[in-house]
Amino acid sequence: MDYKIVMPVLSDTMQKGKLIRWRVHEGDRVHKGDVIAEVESDKAIMEVQTFQDGIVKKLLVKEGEEVPIQTPIAIIETDTNKKEALKPQQPQTSISPKEEPSTVPPVIQELLTTSPHPLPQGEASAAAKKRAAELGIDIQKLHSQKQLPTPAHLHDIEEIALKRYFTPKALKLLQDYNIDPKTFRKNHKITDQEVMSYIKEHNIPYSVPLSANRKAVIQTVEYAAKKPIYFVFETFVLKKVPNYKITAILLKKLGDVMQKHPLTRAKLEQEYLKIYPHSNISVAVAKGEELYMVVCKNIEEKSLEEINIWLQEIKDKTYIPQDLLGSTFGISNLGMFGIERFSAMINKDDVGIAAFGALQDNTIAVTFTFDHRILNGLDAAKFIQDCKKAFQGEENV
Amino acid sequence: MLYREALNNAIDEMMAADESVVILGEDVGRYGGSYRVSEGLFAKYGAKRVIDTPIAELSIVGNAIGMAIAGLRPIAEIMTVNFSLLALDQIINHAAKFRYMSGGKMTIPLTIRMPGGVSKQLAAQHSESYETIYTAIPGLIVLAASNATYAYYGLKAAIALNDPVIFLEHELLYPMKMEFKPQENFDPFKAEIVKEGKDLTIITYLKMRYDVLQAIPTIEQTLNITVEVVDLNSLRPLDMSTITQSIQKTKRVAIVEEDHKTGGYGAEVIARISEELFYELDAPPLRIAGQDVPIPYNRTLELASIPTPKKIAQKIIQWGRENGL
Repeated sequence: MDYKIVMPVLSDTMQKGKLIRWRVHEGDRVHKGDVIAEVESDKAIMEVQTFQDGIVKKLLVKEGEEVPIQTPIAIIETDTNKKEALKPQQPQTSISPKEEPSTVPPVIQELLTTSPHPLPQGEASAAAKKRAAELGIDIQKLHSQKQLPTPAHLHDIEEIALKRYFTPKALKLLQDYNIDPKTFRKNHKITDQEVMSYIKEHNIPYSVPLSANRKAVIQTVEYAAKKPIYFVFETFVLKKVPNYKITAILLKKLGDVMQKHPLTRAKLEQEYLKIYPHSNISVAVAKGEELYMVVCKNIEEKSLEEINIWLQEIKDKTYIPQDLLGSTFGISNLGMFGIERFSAMINKDDVGIAAFGALQDNTIAVTFTFDHRILNGLDAAKFIQDCKKAFQGEENV
Repeated sequence: MLYREALNNAIDEMMAADESVVILGEDVGRYGGSYRVSEGLFAKYGAKRVIDTPIAELSIVGNAIGMAIAGLRPIAEIMTVNFSLLALDQIINHAAKFRYMSGGKMTIPLTIRMPGGVSKQLAAQHSESYETIYTAIPGLIVLAASNATYAYYGLKAAIALNDPVIFLEHELLYPMKMEFKPQENFDPFKAEIVKEGKDLTIITYLKMRYDVLQAIPTIEQTLNITVEVVDLNSLRPLDMSTITQSIQKTKRVAIVEEDHKTGGYGAEVIARISEELFYELDAPPLRIAGQDVPIPYNRTLELASIPTPKKIAQKIIQWGRENGL
């Protein structure tokens, strides 16, 4: 029996997912729970697991390819000796709401789908041969040099034609700067210097596509910018504890104080304030160019030691959706860069965020941003007062 | 406008404009037509011009040919293409040949309307598509109306033509509400570019037009391409110039038809393309057609026997991936 693994829905807003890397090969045996691929959603790179045992029969999507959610990405041949009826884990893509629900029994369904097209034979398509003849390209010779796929298609021939007139570096520039090769007169070999001088002459920008992470960050901060917020500027006393990260200390102290202030553990949902029992704080984590708000959970139950270890671990981890969900408050720390004071944007539906600057002479500047819909000035003042006490006191460290 | 209303308007206007236009067939008069195409015409034009006939297809067409020879412009309605087989001798040996047998002295300005294709559970004897038979007969013109605009203008043109026209309709289209686009300089023999695209041409006609259009978003998204859709409208003659222009642009072609694959009309289209456009093709042409079985009655099996949007998308995506798309 074939079990199809589909592009998972990793967030409410996700429409498409990009297959970053296959962790298995065709023919590999996999077990329930094994990670088979890494995919990039609109928010982060995450792992896809198989929910059935079996053998990887076919990988349907290439690395780097983007496909709509629910599109099958791999087929696992499940063990045939098991008699249990295998149900698909996720519903198949329906092409249109108008189409009648497919009630075709599996036997017929297989008849319909398992008549594979034989792979085309021959060295090149008719159109590719014609174009190659026009350009004086010797398909057989290129095949013997393994420079052309079999069968070759038109775009393969066009690519070869371009290689004649552009050096590899020049081609890369054309691609990076999105310049039409027709811009250049093809009567000599065109080098990257020539392309570069054209780029400078016309001041052509280099386009960096927005990563999924950046798109998600943009969405989050634009959403945050629409909130009715206010700032509170404070300076706390803080002593550095040897072997502990400052962020760990900040998390522990804030998390403990949050237990006394229910509104800092609240989420605004339509007609309700939903107050959660745990102190869950999102922490801004930079990974290269990417920014994640990773959530440290149940802080009130964790020791400083545990939080310190958690901070170490999240640095190298591939996040799953749960890592980025469930916070009600946030922390951002730029102290390590010597920044004295700054303010931060609230993450998603958090109540507020505390932006910490550099620790100087046992004091640290902090700017709180609060969502006024959830926390009034008075509530905020009481919360900060308690924070201040906790930072001064030694008992929590 | 409903598809059947477009046909009704076309007949009504032609009857009002020309007294020699008459219609005949089973239940076309008092009942208003099996699919309500001739609704209201009996009351308006009377029993002499809207003629109810016995259940006898051979005589319907035979009489219509007689009327045509004698100077009328008849429209014969056959209830389904399956039943037109009973009239095949009249259609092929008489309607299609008289002009040639008389050295051009006699013309047969006859239109034979007939719906075909797979409806819902009408079973094997009422679900066939016989465009493959009629398009193989020199002397006949074969038009296939997939939409209200072509139904209206195409049928008017068919009635006005001095040669016999087989006017194919589809049973599932009659109650469909469709956009009507007024036309200037309408040419019944011209295919329609339903949607422009640059990477693949899908040729289709009649009801499959709608299945193809439903499959297009999935195909375009998955393969990251744009697809051009060509609705043939006229099956004989075939508008090779529109097909040629499209394939010269896209370099790839698939045909989607409801008829059985073996000997289906798509085979003829692909043959023409292979003959005339071989060196334009960057991939082997793809045929998506019905299974080679009598159409089953059971709804599940019925749907399994013909192309559906889902199957169209699956096959094109697989074919595309294997052929460099």
